[in-house]
Amino acid sequence: MKISAREQSWNLSIFMLVIGLGIWQAQQLPAFGSYELRTILLGIIPLALLAMGQSIIIIGGGINLAIGAEAVLINILTAKYGEGVSFTKALVLALTGLIVAIAIGALTGWIISTSKIADIVVTLATSFVLVGLALFIQSGPGGSTNKEFSELFTGPGQNFLAPLLVLVLPLILIWWPLYRSHSGISFYAIGSNKEAAFLSGVNVSRARIKLYATGGLFAGLSGIAMTGITLSASPFASISNAATLNSVAAAVLGGVSLAGGVGGLVGPALATLVLYYIPTILLGYGIDPAYSQIIQGVLTVVVVLIGGLLRRKGSSVR
Amino acid sequence: MSNGHPLLRISKLAKSYGAVVALKEANFVVQPGEIHALLGANGAGKSTLVKILTGVIARDTGIIELDGTSINFTSPDNSRKSGVAPVFQDPALIPDLSLRRNLKLTHTNELRFLEELSKFEISINLDEVVNRIELPILRMIDLARALAHDPRLLILDEITAALPIDMAEKVVKTMGEEKAKGNSVIFISHRLAEIEQVCDYATVLRDGIDVDSFLASSGSEERIVAAMLGDKALVQASKSFVQRTSQESVLMAKSISFGRHLKDVSLSLNKGEVVGLVALEGQGQDALFEILAGEIQPDGGEIAVHGRAVRFKHPSDAISCGISYVPGDRKTALLPQRSIRENLAITKFRTLKSWRPINQGLEDSMVNKAVSDLEIDTRARSQVMHLSGGNQQKVTIGRWITTGFDVLLCFDPTRGIDVGTKGQIYKLLRNLANEGKSVLLFTSELREIQATCDRAIVLYEGKIHQELPYEMCDEEMLLNSAHGRSVL
Repeated sequence: MKISAREQSWNLSIFMLVIGLGIWQAQQLPAFGSYELRTILLGIIPLALLAMGQSIIIIGGGINLAIGAEAVLINILTAKYGEGVSFTKALVLALTGLIVAIAIGALTGWIISTSKIADIVVTLATSFVLVGLALFIQSGPGGSTNKEFSELFTGPGQNFLAPLLVLVLPLILIWWPLYRSHSGISFYAIGSNKEAAFLSGVNVSRARIKLYATGGLFAGLSGIAMTGITLSASPFASISNAATLNSVAAAVLGGVSLAGGVGGLVGPALATLVLYYIPTILLGYGIDPAYSQIIQGVLTVVVVLIGGLLRRKGSSVR
Repeated sequence: MSNGHPLLRISKLAKSYGAVVALKEANFVVQPGEIHALLGANGAGKSTLVKILTGVIARDTGIIELDGTSINFTSPDNSRKSGVAPVFQDPALIPDLSLRRNLKLTHTNELRFLEELSKFEISINLDEVVNRIELPILRMIDLARALAHDPRLLILDEITAALPIDMAEKVVKTMGEEKAKGNSVIFISHRLAEIEQVCDYATVLRDGIDVDSFLASSGSEERIVAAMLGDKALVQASKSFVQRTSQESVLMAKSISFGRHLKDVSLSLNKGEVVGLVALEGQGQDALFEILAGEIQPDGGEIAVHGRAVRFKHPSDAISCGISYVPGDRKTALLPQRSIRENLAITKFRTLKSWRPINQGLEDSMVNKAVSDLEIDTRARSQVMHLSGGNQQKVTIGRWITTGFDVLLCFDPTRGIDVGTKGQIYKLLRNLANEGKSVLLFTSELREIQATCDRAIVLYEGKIHQELPYEMCDEEMLLNSAHGRSVL
């Protein structure tokens, strides 16, 4: 199985950008080693997992504006009931959280398929519902979880191994088999051309439900990671909305076409590093955060523009 | 397998889309080992019948029996598993996926597929992404994929419409092979010569009813056309126009070159003539039309309009010089969700330089004139995507007539259009020429050249191979010339 050269070139470009920014930022620090890398990875894991979930959905021709709210809800669920629990109970809680996230995703996909209302409208509505639900469960910041459970994410030592695994394992254990499976191909198919997918024998409605359920799974993982890393949860809409928008930005930066059918998950995961580095580096120079927002916005457009041009050049005449 | 039952029996099949009746009461029987032509004008219900048969859409009423058992396919996958494999009118491959992943999506055996494809003398890298493969090759890939499922009933809906002559012949040969294996084929085509050549039986649909069904043989053409048209007058496809030669050059291209597609192409279009461009698939005709229409810029060469050198940077430059382009793919030319009226008027109001409201009265009279001149079927007037292919094509031509132009570039305007509508389009092109307009016509159906053109230019491997006067434009000579042989 080969991934198309175009996709690889995009991933490579983003990788180079990440390396470049990484070196730049490392020079601002007094020391750079395993511990600093660990801090960076822990900082991006929740967004990276969320961006993966969003990317899957965009590849399948949809978009989920409630994905941040899904993650926050799972964060709340696992943190609120996680105070002072045993390791086993924390695991059971996490598993329950994942099932809830998958169910919410599947339900979203089902509503879109049966109502034939646009993805953007349905998920905007569900985002309100989920944020409300999160506030209802826990009205302010709080919660905790088992220490050993938390170490699954942060690692017992001070090195970057555990966070790196948290980032890479979902790609290897969930995405890679899925990408090669019939379901994975059908995600790309319905995103690329629904009509042709249907004629190829794909049950479009069922594929869309699976698509949103998979997106929900990654959102759930993101929520659990938040609990594991921060040992707390906040139900506020500002957090979930920012997370949703950043997940879309990372997906697009990572080479996922908003038109659907094109892209992968490695690019978006790397792109979250870009989103992390830019404000950090600018902050290191003492630049106003308002400017760094502007620069981040401009850079997003420029990267996507260059990527689009590369793609057009790569494709055949017209 | 045959136990006295036909392979397929369709009885009293009916389907309506809202107020539009697509199938009224269609009956249709296919025997094992038979190549059965399904014929009918555009909008007669052929595609609807195929879609119902393959589980794409649900029927309203009627019975479908396969081997004597009543069946009800709910999805294309469903029908494929029962041995019914369709090749649809539009390619059913996922554009952004590689060929390998497309095959996996449809549970197609890669080796079987490659084996079938090699019979067409096509070799391809399975990791190639579909949207980078050319349309004719895609059609053959679609066919090979269907064959790889070893179907008992192969359904080919207009597969030859987008194919060059040599590939169309391979399709015909494949049908013969399927028949020899005892399998059946339902063949839909507007190319009557192919039908006579290969089909055992023909059924003609008109207005959603099977009006005639008979053994196909040479000479069936008249019966087919008569059944398709019903009491509508038969349009003659023989010479029925007066040639009026004028030496006034309207559009002149000199030494045009474009990558590996075009080399030193020069041609001139005079006032009041229809010039046919003859070429097998992929000889550079696409690039030539797009250059003349200002869509792409040539690497070298000059274009002159009315003797004045011009350089097109954008299609609107060409339109300003009076050059209008009717592309081969109707879908790229139309605004599918908008009305006939808007689609006809859009190019006219291109010239409006302000945001002033549009003169409704003027628009009305203009649109109404175009609709009646072109005999556009306006039953589905609110959204052109609901029109049949022939009517959509009339709209794409009609918009330029409402706008006004000097030169019309027509790229395969009759692809997938029924005989009656084809006749109307020929007549239309001739009328335009009589009014002093010039037309450059590319067509994949050679008999059209004789029916409409004053002379023909043959393009072969990106070069002008020959120019043939009207007297030499019979099908055989054109075909020979298109294959690069000299016939002068």
